[in-house]
Amino acid sequence: MDLVPTPYELPKSPIDPGRGRAVYRLERPVQGRYVGGVCAGLAEHLGVNVRHVRLAFLLACFAGGAGVAAYLILWALTPQSLGGAPVPRPRPMDEGQPANEPLRNLVVGVGLLLVGGGLFAQLHGVNLRLGVLIPLVTVAGGAVLAWSQLDDAERGRWLVGGSEGRRAGLLRLVIGIALALIGVVVLATQGRGLAGLWDVGIPAVAVLAGAALIAAPWGVRLWNDLRAEQAQRIRETERADIAAHLHDSVLQTLALIQRKAADPAEVTRLARAQERELRGWLYAGPRGSRSSLASAVTEVAHEVEDVHGIPIELVVTGDRPLDAGGTALVRALREALLNAVCHGSVPVSAYVEVGSDLVEAFVRDHGPGFDMSAVPADRLGVRESILGRMSRQGGSAAVRRLERGTEVSLSLPLTTAESQPVAQPDTEGTQ
Amino acid sequence: MMSEPKSLHPAPIRLVLVDDHRMFRSGVKAELDESMVIVGEAPDVDSAIVVVAETRPDVVLLDVHLPGGNGNGGSDVISGSHGVTTESGEPVRFLALSVSDAAEDVIAVIRAGARGYVTKTINGNDLTDAIRRVADGDAVFSPRLAGFVLDAFGAAAGEVALVDEELDRLSTREREVMRLIARGYQYKEVAKELFISIKTVETHVSSVLRKLQLSSRHELTAWAVGRHLL
Repeated sequence: MDLVPTPYELPKSPIDPGRGRAVYRLERPVQGRYVGGVCAGLAEHLGVNVRHVRLAFLLACFAGGAGVAAYLILWALTPQSLGGAPVPRPRPMDEGQPANEPLRNLVVGVGLLLVGGGLFAQLHGVNLRLGVLIPLVTVAGGAVLAWSQLDDAERGRWLVGGSEGRRAGLLRLVIGIALALIGVVVLATQGRGLAGLWDVGIPAVAVLAGAALIAAPWGVRLWNDLRAEQAQRIRETERADIAAHLHDSVLQTLALIQRKAADPAEVTRLARAQERELRGWLYAGPRGSRSSLASAVTEVAHEVEDVHGIPIELVVTGDRPLDAGGTALVRALREALLNAVCHGSVPVSAYVEVGSDLVEAFVRDHGPGFDMSAVPADRLGVRESILGRMSRQGGSAAVRRLERGTEVSLSLPLTTAESQPVAQPDTEGTQ
Repeated sequence: MMSEPKSLHPAPIRLVLVDDHRMFRSGVKAELDESMVIVGEAPDVDSAIVVVAETRPDVVLLDVHLPGGNGNGGSDVISGSHGVTTESGEPVRFLALSVSDAAEDVIAVIRAGARGYVTKTINGNDLTDAIRRVADGDAVFSPRLAGFVLDAFGAAAGEVALVDEELDRLSTREREVMRLIARGYQYKEVAKELFISIKTVETHVSSVLRKLQLSSRHELTAWAVGRHLL
């Protein structure tokens, strides 16, 4: 259960970020972009300040919309750098500006709306075929905003991303569609006013509805494909995680076992430790705090198992916070377990029952048992230390000889003064 | 861990092995003595149900985790084999076998109708005894399962049933038996310790198994899901 975090277990992206390469190739970065990332990518590619590139594009926009056209072409032809990839070079605009995408999108969208509106007002004064150009620009802007949702990596982020990412995506989509609609309406009604809107609007809506009807199955399929792809990716990530863990733990242990095949005790110890680790990884959730009696008992039993390579069948029921009495019990239990694995024979069982007013622990082996008068002084000392420990905490200990084996029983009454609530929030089962 | 195999079955016990690991099946086969005969094997839920219905064995050794069926592993085999009897009219009995420590899996298969649960690390002799016990209609409890029962029925905290028929708590005797099993005692030793016969011990264990299968004690499930101890 004590998983040592390894580099393999760190959550990693299934896609290789592909560092280094991004510095030279023309790609549209995900981070640090305003609209489609074309300017940022171009600046990255050419090694120019991104502000200059953006300014150039803006100026070019007023030269008959050349900037817009260039931007659109570049946007369509440039691949987006892979999702979530770390940007190779920090962009100037990232400094002091946290990635607040929803806000940024809102600003961009509203800005575009304002520009569109302002120019629309100018329409009455100036007549430089802006009546056609501006709606076109608006449509294009809206389309860019809306379609940027369907970029390869972007759509993935949109689908899996938290509610925040989703909201940002929706916002962009709505603004984009609104822009496109405004542009289309202005273009279609070319100075004919609201009355004309009806003449054009109804057929347009009808056509759109028909198109939607035709496109719906395709759209649904696309959506399903996306979901499937997403699920696949999650599965792959999990698989990679499991593979990494198995590689680190099981495969290493198997290699060790092969090398130590001549030493059965060592092989058993390795197999046992690995089994426990794997079990812990597979089944154990958070098992309460380290300072609970049950976890301390488990830890001690595992330690003894590891040192001597003899399995201990441990059963613990109930739990309570670890106090001085509990610590003494755990130490005494450890002595008893060491005794059992050193001098008894398998199977060794340990049972610890944490009740509301009494903690009892039993350690049992199946050895031939021992004659109390014949035990060497040092083992008698061990036994004394078990007994002594328990009695100092107001508990008791006893050694019993069974027909087959020996059983050490420890018991520790919980006085009302020191007994803390048994039902601590993260352990259950004692009531 | 059970001892004193009884000779209630002079004829060899007919056994079906259900486990998706071929290696484990052949390992079990190698460990069993001549008092058992393997009449069928199955690697998944669906073929297990077919094999059990065809061969009508005394005991099915059932892995908790199996592919196929409704995804509930061993429990699906038990529910799919409902009503199947041996030639002598006894119901087919199931002994669950698992490497899993996940309480909810083991409890699910017990509540589906398995007569006992042992871990796959059990040695050949103990496995033979466990199979024999299940074939005789008794229950087989591992120390872990006993510990789980004590915890789930609140016995560790001192809750005791006032009447034996009460389903949601253990009687004093049942609690004592469970405690001794959790301490690693074999049935024979439990009987000696409590000055009762082995048959009485078996009766108590069977009655605990019944409570485990029928009790609606909500802690049973909540605990199993929350604790991952078994």
